[in-house]
Amino acid sequence: MNIFLEPFQYVFMQRALVAAIVVGVLCACLGTLVVLRRMSLVGHALSHSALPGLAIAYVLGFNVFGGAVVATIFTALLIVFLAKDEAVYEDTSIGIIPTVMFALGVLIISSTKSYRDMSAMLFGNILGISQGDLYLIGGITVLTLGALFLFYKELKLLCVDPDYAKTIGIPLNLLRYGLLLFLALTVVVGIQAVGTILTNALLVIPAAAARFLTNRLGIMILWSCVLAALSASGGVFISYYLGLSSGASIVLCSGFCFCICWLFYTCLPAGRLLQNKKIVLS
Amino acid sequence: MIPYCSHRHSRPLKEAAALLVQDLTVFYSGQEKPALNHFSVTVSPGTVMALVGPNGAGKSTLFKAISGLLPVHSGEVSVFGHSLGACHQRVVYLPQRSEIDWLFPMTVMDLVLTGRYIYLGWFKNLGPKDKGIVAKALQQLGIADLAHRHINQLSGGQQQRVLIARALAQNADLFLMDEPLNAIDAATRETVKNVLSNIKGEGKTVIVATHYYDQEEGIYDGAVYLQDGEMIR
Repeated sequence: MNIFLEPFQYVFMQRALVAAIVVGVLCACLGTLVVLRRMSLVGHALSHSALPGLAIAYVLGFNVFGGAVVATIFTALLIVFLAKDEAVYEDTSIGIIPTVMFALGVLIISSTKSYRDMSAMLFGNILGISQGDLYLIGGITVLTLGALFLFYKELKLLCVDPDYAKTIGIPLNLLRYGLLLFLALTVVVGIQAVGTILTNALLVIPAAAARFLTNRLGIMILWSCVLAALSASGGVFISYYLGLSSGASIVLCSGFCFCICWLFYTCLPAGRLLQNKKIVLS
Repeated sequence: MIPYCSHRHSRPLKEAAALLVQDLTVFYSGQEKPALNHFSVTVSPGTVMALVGPNGAGKSTLFKAISGLLPVHSGEVSVFGHSLGACHQRVVYLPQRSEIDWLFPMTVMDLVLTGRYIYLGWFKNLGPKDKGIVAKALQQLGIADLAHRHINQLSGGQQQRVLIARALAQNADLFLMDEPLNAIDAATRETVKNVLSNIKGEGKTVIVATHYYDQEEGIYDGAVYLQDGEMIR
């Protein structure tokens, strides 16, 4: 028992665990929609694009996460704008924008020669989370999960049959932009935990793993929260006892959960029951 | 109730045509040639009409324009005597099956329940009344036993029945069905035909887009032929 309690004699470890679990659960909830709407690359784009925002705010002495919010929202709008007339395919713009933004971020940070801070931006620093950061994480989580709860049925229809949603008068663009806005906020919270490079993993992996366990959306969201919370706490413990990077440990724990769920889906009879039956056309 | 859009949920006007299309022209964005060119048609309530034409003739375009998925470039569309959208709860568009994400994690019951959303609007949740209506619709289509099956475990014919059940759950008066008889098994074909005649018996109106018109099937009251966005007869 002491093994589990020992790390929590330190306040920074208590904060790290709470932050990791809250961020994990938030990312898992929104990640379910990201995975089902096949937006995994958008999460990747947003998280990588936050780097110049972080860097500029750092150089100018502003709140770095404010900078990240501005950069991710700017990127989200840019992707929508470029893909609007189909002059550039969405996947192409996602191939261009985050890499260019990321390069810009690296350039700005390298000009400051502060590689320690760069490492925190790239890979997160959950052990260094402050009380103020925790409040920010809590606020964004309550806001995002509240919106998800209020618009749950409309978001569900947006995923499964957007045309029908439009014919009954649901403002699809408002929902799409709203989802993107909350995704941007979630990514910024994720960056605090695991950094710009690994944040997309928090969004995608628990949700993708949960898809192996159920055929119901509500249960999928619950499962992905459970997997995210397990990975988050597992990662924090591993990082404490083995002295390893916390962000990388959390993401690797998620990867491990994914493998277990995939094995369940492919190898066990209960998992096979969930698999798609071939659609028979006469 | 807070409705999804400012459109009024108007009641159909008596004596009005179920659908009146005059001189309708529709373009897809970025295309110079219209997908529908000065198309006009009148459909009386309580009839089943076939909209016949090859792929690319403009059948789906017409349905999408009527149901508000595509903007109208010029011309008039009125549904039960109201301008487009004012009566939108009475119109239902059944897309081709390929336009739905059948891998999405939800059951048949969940999908058919989405047909009730229009009566709920924002923030209101489904109640027992909605579930009762949906159960009845599933029964009418002979798929009550599939209610708790996941939607990716359905055959093509079953998918078609699920979409029709959702349209029934919406309690629409004008059904726009896109190729409902395409690539389905014989049993479903019979069920769909029975449902079509039931819907007609209730005084509702159906327009069926099809590339194959067999008058001997005895389900249609008339047909309109489309080619390259224009009515040919």
